[in-house]
Amino acid sequence: MTGILEVQGVSIAFGGLKAVQDFRLSLREGGLQGLIGPNGAGKTTVFNLLTGVYRPDSGTVSLGGHNLIGLKPHQIARAGMARTFQNIRLFADLTVLDNIRIASHARTWTSTLASVLRTPGAIAAESAITEHAMELLDVLGLADRAQETARNLPYGDQRRLEIARALALDPEVLLLDEPAAGMNPQEKIALRGLIRTVRERFSLSVLLIEHDMGLVMDLCEQITVLDHGTVIADGSPESVQGNPRVIEAYLGAPSAEVSA
Amino acid sequence: MTKLLQTLMDGVSVGSLYALIALGYTMVYGILKFINFAHSDIFMLGAWVSFTLATLMGWTSDAPWIAGPAVICGSMLICGTIGFVIERLAYRPLRAAPRINVLITAIGVSLFLENVGQLEYVFGTRPQRMPSLLPDTVLASVAGVSIRLVDVLVIGIAFSLMGALEYLVFSTKLGRAMRAVSHDLKTASLMGIDVDRVISITFIIGSSLAAAAGFLTAAKYPSINQPAHSNWILFGLKAFVAAVVGGIGNVRGAMAGGLMIGLVEMFGAAFFSPNLRDVYVFTLLIVVLLIKPDGLLGRATVEKV
Repeated sequence: MTGILEVQGVSIAFGGLKAVQDFRLSLREGGLQGLIGPNGAGKTTVFNLLTGVYRPDSGTVSLGGHNLIGLKPHQIARAGMARTFQNIRLFADLTVLDNIRIASHARTWTSTLASVLRTPGAIAAESAITEHAMELLDVLGLADRAQETARNLPYGDQRRLEIARALALDPEVLLLDEPAAGMNPQEKIALRGLIRTVRERFSLSVLLIEHDMGLVMDLCEQITVLDHGTVIADGSPESVQGNPRVIEAYLGAPSAEVSA
Repeated sequence: MTKLLQTLMDGVSVGSLYALIALGYTMVYGILKFINFAHSDIFMLGAWVSFTLATLMGWTSDAPWIAGPAVICGSMLICGTIGFVIERLAYRPLRAAPRINVLITAIGVSLFLENVGQLEYVFGTRPQRMPSLLPDTVLASVAGVSIRLVDVLVIGIAFSLMGALEYLVFSTKLGRAMRAVSHDLKTASLMGIDVDRVISITFIIGSSLAAAAGFLTAAKYPSINQPAHSNWILFGLKAFVAAVVGGIGNVRGAMAGGLMIGLVEMFGAAFFSPNLRDVYVFTLLIVVLLIKPDGLLGRATVEKV
């Protein structure tokens, strides 16, 4: 069985540093998979490799059977891969609504000239985009903030706006980079529900980087563990939790070896 | 009173030329965060291409009414293409390089354009006289101020182009993409925006606005200096000052800054000393930078630690 997102043997080195080595992953259609590992393990590098920010030195990445290697980031985004960022990277000077509409443009094909000249087709497309954007804001509970400038939103809302913006690309795969970072327990519970809701509603497959183990273990069906750029375990949450290599990566080697 | 109005008219007229050029500096800075030193040469090319087109068409005297519109459009088209080619060949390969490399490349492009322009078979090294494509008529006299057609056209065309740009940047899909790329190029590409295309369009627009300014300058001051003359650079430099005064990277700021520079220069020249006109401009720059280092409409950048 092949998944919607298939990654095989992906490696990248920066100078002498082998940041990610022989990474593999298979994300099932409609699946919710976790990507965990200690700080500096290479998780965000994996996201950058998947979205075309970095081009891997070797390996294959395919989305729905289409090869993604060599495509530019905007082409990969249009092919159906959307992401959020560990450090929020909204278009801070733009309104909440415009942040979403920017991403929606990738899905529409009105020409630049048509939009400048305000042809009826372009106006119709534009109002469809706005409608779709408002719908997304509604789902994410941001509808009443549509006209606010993104930088003025509270932190939790900015995190949700990032998810809304990613959804505006109408993706098949959603990559979430530490969506719970900086959230309080109540917000984390709400986020958990939100991730489930959007996955159902937009029939997405989700790959999640997260440090909050409670959240990961509860949400994900499959977990891949990364340490020093290599996959040290993958499988169900239970099997990963009991894996001695994973425990070692997080907690260090058993005390007998430490004393040496 | 007459002198006041006349100076106001001159100031707005020159200021709108500065504003047109400043827009190119500010748009490129806004997106690529570097100062395109070759921009003042595009302005020079705008004037020289206009002259060449007019001469080639034989519109040296008694030009038909179509001559003016045809020449300005032709010049904008040609210079827009040149701007596109410069970005494609000189700047794009350096996209990932440190800013200083691109900056030095821009100086190189600037020298290249000036020197190619001086070649005998291009524009040559002699100054020329721009044929008057627009009738030099005085439209009206208000309170002793003669309102010349040239000034009205300069102001009218400059303001229409600025209005069109304002519309483009703030009310269209392309403008939204430009603002997104300007804010964060990498994130914009991850949101499906074809960044290379947006940058190309930015260069085309900026260069054609500079070309329009070149045409209008030649229409207002018909003696065209040779391509490498320092007056071109000085004019471009003042437009750059306008962009900085308004807040570099800010489209509305560039328009406001241009008008302000034009007014300060003309009022200084008329009421104090015409010899110090450049001094007023650069004094204004220093004062603005002391009071508001990000420019009049610039946003204060807060460094997060």
